Amino acid sequence: MSDQTDVLQGTLDLLILRTIALEPMHGWAIAQRIQQVSDELLRVQQGSLYPALHRLEHQGWITAAWGASENNRRARFYSLTKAGRKQLETEIAKWERLSAGVNLVLQRT
Amino acid sequence: MRLWNILQSRLRSIVFRDRRESDLSEELQLHLERETERLQASGISRDQARLQARRLFGGVEQIKEASRDARGTAGWDALVRDARHGLRRLARDWRFTTAAVLILGLAIGANTAIFSVVNAVLFREEALADPDRLVNIYQNDRAGRPLIVTSYSTYMKIAEYTDIFAATMAGSMPNPGRYLYDGAVRDAVVEFATATYLDTLGLRPSLGRWFDETEERPGAPLVTVLGYQAWTRRFRADPSIVGRVIRIEGCPVTIVGIAPASHRGTVDIGLGTDFWLPITAVPAVFANLAPRNAITIIAPFLVKARLREGVTLAQAKAAMDVLAQRLAAENPGQFRAEGEFAVGPGITVVPSTDVRIHPQADTPFMAIASLVLVIVGLVLAIACSNLATLLLVRGTARAKEVSVRLAMGATRRQLVRHLLIESLLLSLAGGIAGCVLAWWGMRVLQGIDFPFRVDLTVDYRVLAFAIVLSQITGVVFGLAPALKATRVDLLTTLRDEGLQPIDHRRLTLKNALIVFQVAVSVLLLGGTSIFLQAAAAARALRVDYAVNGVAMLETDLRFAGYSESDARRVFDDLLRRVAAIPGVQSAALLRGLPMDVNGVGIVVDSGDGQKGSTLEAAAITAAPGFFDTLSIPLLHGRVFDERDRVDSPRVAVISERMARQYFGAVNAVGRRFRSVNDPNSWAEVIGVVRDTGTGDFDDDVLDPIAPLFYTSYLQSVALPTTVVARTSGDAAPLVAAMQRELRAVDITLPVMTAQTMAQKLAGSLAIPNGIATLFGALGGLGLVLASIGLYAVVAFAVTRRSREIGIRMALGARSQQVVWSIARGVAGLIGVGTGIGLVLLVLVMLALRAGSGSADIGIGSLSVYQPSIDPVALLAIAAVTAVVGVAAAFVPGRRAALMDPLVALRHE
Repeated sequence: MSDQTDVLQGTLDLLILRTIALEPMHGWAIAQRIQQVSDELLRVQQGSLYPALHRLEHQGWITAAWGASENNRRARFYSLTKAGRKQLETEIAKWERLSAGVNLVLQRT
Repeated sequence: MRLWNILQSRLRSIVFRDRRESDLSEELQLHLERETERLQASGISRDQARLQARRLFGGVEQIKEASRDARGTAGWDALVRDARHGLRRLARDWRFTTAAVLILGLAIGANTAIFSVVNAVLFREEALADPDRLVNIYQNDRAGRPLIVTSYSTYMKIAEYTDIFAATMAGSMPNPGRYLYDGAVRDAVVEFATATYLDTLGLRPSLGRWFDETEERPGAPLVTVLGYQAWTRRFRADPSIVGRVIRIEGCPVTIVGIAPASHRGTVDIGLGTDFWLPITAVPAVFANLAPRNAITIIAPFLVKARLREGVTLAQAKAAMDVLAQRLAAENPGQFRAEGEFAVGPGITVVPSTDVRIHPQADTPFMAIASLVLVIVGLVLAIACSNLATLLLVRGTARAKEVSVRLAMGATRRQLVRHLLIESLLLSLAGGIAGCVLAWWGMRVLQGIDFPFRVDLTVDYRVLAFAIVLSQITGVVFGLAPALKATRVDLLTTLRDEGLQPIDHRRLTLKNALIVFQVAVSVLLLGGTSIFLQAAAAARALRVDYAVNGVAMLETDLRFAGYSESDARRVFDDLLRRVAAIPGVQSAALLRGLPMDVNGVGIVVDSGDGQKGSTLEAAAITAAPGFFDTLSIPLLHGRVFDERDRVDSPRVAVISERMARQYFGAVNAVGRRFRSVNDPNSWAEVIGVVRDTGTGDFDDDVLDPIAPLFYTSYLQSVALPTTVVARTSGDAAPLVAAMQRELRAVDITLPVMTAQTMAQKLAGSLAIPNGIATLFGALGGLGLVLASIGLYAVVAFAVTRRSREIGIRMALGARSQQVVWSIARGVAGLIGVGTGIGLVLLVLVMLALRAGSGSADIGIGSLSVYQPSIDPVALLAIAAVTAVVGVAAAFVPGRRAALMDPLVALRHE
């Protein structure tokens, strides 16, 4: 567990948008998926997941709809909107610039 | 598109708040369940899994809160929630809420109403074009002080200095007058002015025109300019009124224009001028002001002039000095005149912006006005300090609540927001109460029957100021303890409050507030007592003439267009008819209303040829039958009869007091006196009558048994206006019967006054009563406010000491000892406050006495009340404050002492 890194504030939006770009998902599943896909390297602070989801929904990048979960319970499934897709692209570009920059700094100093 | 989404989501969030809440709960619930399942799958027990899931998840409520925040509707939600909570809190603490709202309401409302009146009378500034170039010009009296009058001839000579003055104008003081329009006679304020009046001020009529120079010539058809307020209020702002003819004092007058809305009159002291007439209309309209010749119109004229571009004040002063010397050289005789309009050599020029009413009248006027303002300010100060105290007390008492909420995870921001909203709600309620009270107060003030019409409107700037001030007080003092409370050490506050050491410091904020409040209350009571003294003096009237059964009826034949001889015949007819009404014992004709007085200066013939000095006396118009009708007993000589006519020697009947005071003996029959203004007005005393109170306080005679003399209107050219009669029965039916007789004589005659003597007396007391009511209410208000504040602080302090009291009681102290020890502490504070207040009060009174004094400005002395420093009154004030303060300490102190010690010990 100690190898896990808390998701940085600001990158969480990117990760959420990327995760639900494939298919609509509910909150718990999003957190699980991020953890799995990152080979358990990233851990989503559950306390910040839901506020982030609501914020993204409020900003109009994702929408929520009620559907049945894998254990057949009512769950809120989040999916990307058109604006969300565009936002995802922006966020990815932003992230790439940022990581490239950080890498350069690390290598050259 | 995105904007629309946001808007939609936000609206949905607001509208479907409850559903959103349950959705959020369900969503988080599902998350926890899934997490539990996941952990369970890794092999731990269900209970442990649930616990771990929760631990991983963190605080559900915090996450909910953060999610709500993320939606952007959190602010709104919180507002609604806090407002709801605040309202619940305020409703629960209804005693506190009522007190606070009352304090705010009274302070805002009462103050606004009172200030609006003072403002209307004294402080309203007029917007004139280029006011810096306007000067006021006065002729001086012999002591070199500016008089209130400038003779018309002098005005004309001033106006000739066109190289100094671009324009010059003269306007009279406002005069009471009456006009007939639409079949009704109404009171009006009339001013006489020159054709240059409006141009000199740099103003334009709002409709029509001002009268021109041709209309100012003597003998020109009468024209008038209508005041803007009169136009809108009395003529419904009808533009077609211009060009119409109305009757003013019976004379037909054509309306040629409407004055500018901003200009209310030459002397703007709340009297809105209704009609401006050319200066030359004075003789036609006011026969009693008639000049003896056209050159010296003796009426109080104020002269204003506009300096030419480039002319300095010093140049204008120099030019007027030259004029003054010329006038003195040309007519040395004019300074031989004596009396009220005694002109000295000299002319004063003052910038108009430096003068409020008149250079000599400003100081006493301002003294009164400042006193009113000080009182109003004190009430506001008391109210704010009260509110502050209440809030501080409440805030401190809530320290524990605040710590509980902090411990439950509330953030400081949330707490502060919550308390702020509560304070604002309270202030809002107080503000609304204030507006309602201000409106109601104005209604009450407008209901007071002033003899003149004051232009009263709620001054919204003052209302706004009072509201803002009280809101700031509410917010600052509501928040201060809250902020302090959010910094409290959670553990100590939660554990126990009772263990904190008793505060032995003397100079705490609460103690200072008590002292301040007591001092201000004393000052307020003192200020109020000054006005109450004046009002009481005016009310303590002695009426020694017939009141019961006396009725009067006033009309004016000029309104019906009668010639003089016809008018006398009509009045004789009316008198005969009234005397024949069954029950009438005596009736008389009169000019003006019975027992109305005029203060005049007289000179008494001492008999040895020496010139006497000017003496003050009150003059009353009488006629044959007058003394009989009013049952005033004759002591010596005779009363007026038909022998005293215009062409017979002037005679007078004087009062016992005047006889004794001015002639040295009660039997002064045969002695002579004259008016100061007219060396040819010698009148012989033909009779002496018993003293009466004048029963007239509208005028400038304050002494209720002043030296009085009576003259007969039959010895002047003036027509009678009034029938006065006394019946053996009730006066009210007589009034009606007299009106019937008037209609029988001529149905078109207007009724100007129809009342009983009792009604007239009540009417003349309206102002003293109004003033007494106003200031009594203000003083009472201050006392109530101060008492509430005092009670709140003391009661709180005592409640905080409940535990200490409990310990002392448990250790065997007697309840009386405990109560007294508390009362002693409070009494000390009250003593200090009272002392400070009394010292300040005496200082204020001394300042008032120094600042006022009677200012002789040529129209008789302007009597300004000089407060007397009465030790008994001061003691009474101190006693009232002390009793209220100690009672405030005693009641809760006793309650605490009577508490079961066990309950007291557990008391938080």
